[in-house]
Amino acid sequence: MKETIGEKGRVQIDGDRAIVSARQQGRALALGLGFSAGCATLVATAISELARNILLYAGQGEIELKPIERTGDEGLMIMARDHGPGIGNVRRAMEDGYSTSGRMGLGLPGVRRLMDEFEVQSATGGGTQIRAVKWKRAGASA
Amino acid sequence: MSTLEAELEARCATALREHLDGAGESSLNAAYELGRDALSRGFGILDFTAILHAALAEVVFSAEPGHGREVVGRAQAFLLECYSPFEMAHRGAREANAALRRLDEVREAEARRLARELHDEAGQMLAAAHLTLREAAAELGLHAYQPLARVHDHLRKAEWELRRIAHEMRPSMLDDLGLGPALEFLAKGISARHGLVVRIEGALETRLAHDVETALYRVAQEAFNNAAKHAGAREVRLSVSLAADRLRLSVADDGRGFDARSVANGKSGSGLGLAGIRERLEPLGGSLKVRSAPGKGTVLIIDLPIAMEEHAARFAG
Repeated sequence: MKETIGEKGRVQIDGDRAIVSARQQGRALALGLGFSAGCATLVATAISELARNILLYAGQGEIELKPIERTGDEGLMIMARDHGPGIGNVRRAMEDGYSTSGRMGLGLPGVRRLMDEFEVQSATGGGTQIRAVKWKRAGASA
Repeated sequence: MSTLEAELEARCATALREHLDGAGESSLNAAYELGRDALSRGFGILDFTAILHAALAEVVFSAEPGHGREVVGRAQAFLLECYSPFEMAHRGAREANAALRRLDEVREAEARRLARELHDEAGQMLAAAHLTLREAAAELGLHAYQPLARVHDHLRKAEWELRRIAHEMRPSMLDDLGLGPALEFLAKGISARHGLVVRIEGALETRLAHDVETALYRVAQEAFNNAAKHAGAREVRLSVSLAADRLRLSVADDGRGFDARSVANGKSGSGLGLAGIRERLEPLGGSLKVRSAPGKGTVLIIDLPIAMEEHAARFAG
């Protein structure tokens, strides 16, 4: 499968103001790609939750946003990276109820449900990298 | 209005004003955090909507004359942000519902396997016992007739019990013949064991979706057991009716009844397996109503949607 990755935007996540900035870039990118207002909102929500996760568990990190193309479909990729302690047990972290926000269906499990693709790479002590993609064709707000 | 609601509404109105003044992403972020807060503080979507509506009305009415339309138009992005956390939670609930449904399927498949094993394995042993008994009867002659006849009776009873247990664990009849025959067999077993008169009536000849038939069978099983064991009923009446795209099943008994309100409020525990019945129905979008009062018997009314394509197939076939 051929995947083309476009121009990148990176935002250092070190506080609430950075979250706003990452959301702004993500929303602009989504609307630029022709996503609906609802879909752009879901992208901003995913960015909020990923950034919140970075601040909460690693203190700081970065969020990278880029357009992506695969077999004629356009999408938006969010890459969240940190050098924190890593998620010791990724499977558990993905369960609803592992964290307080998870209990409400928010947090990482929530992001997985909003996005079309979701992948966590994490090693204890080795930081965490989360890749999430929203495709345009997958539907208005699906 | 509680202080918490008043606080949320004030925050909401402030953020909305900032949004309309062109604050951009920071006010949208504030809207998102507002929704997240409301969700984590246990606000339901209706309460939260009332708060949003009050804040929107406040801002619209204080806008300059003629600007109301513009305010409402620009509020869209703000409202979407407010609701986004609820969307996430909603998707979580939908996923959990699907998982619950799969769990029920796994549970039924396991019960089906156990029931078949019980029926086949133990059935073979009983058949062997009958053979041996016949041989023994031939060898021992007439003077052993009476004790051997008693053994024979015990074996017959064991066979019947085995068949009943296997059936109630997972009636193969349900898969092969459908809900009507499976319920008739269940009723016979309950009558024999508890001396309860069970009447079954209504639209039971049509085949329904597999998971719907299973759920209804389990619900009936629980209801019959309640009537016999807890309610001390003498008679229980089950009836099924089909409307365009809904199925209604009611189970009424003449037992001692209970205070339905206190059970509904969870004050006397979920007891009576009513919680189990609700859990069965929820993944299928069904609901349970309970009507009961001390001394007045109990009526369970189950309402279940039936998919349109099944409906079409039913009426075509």
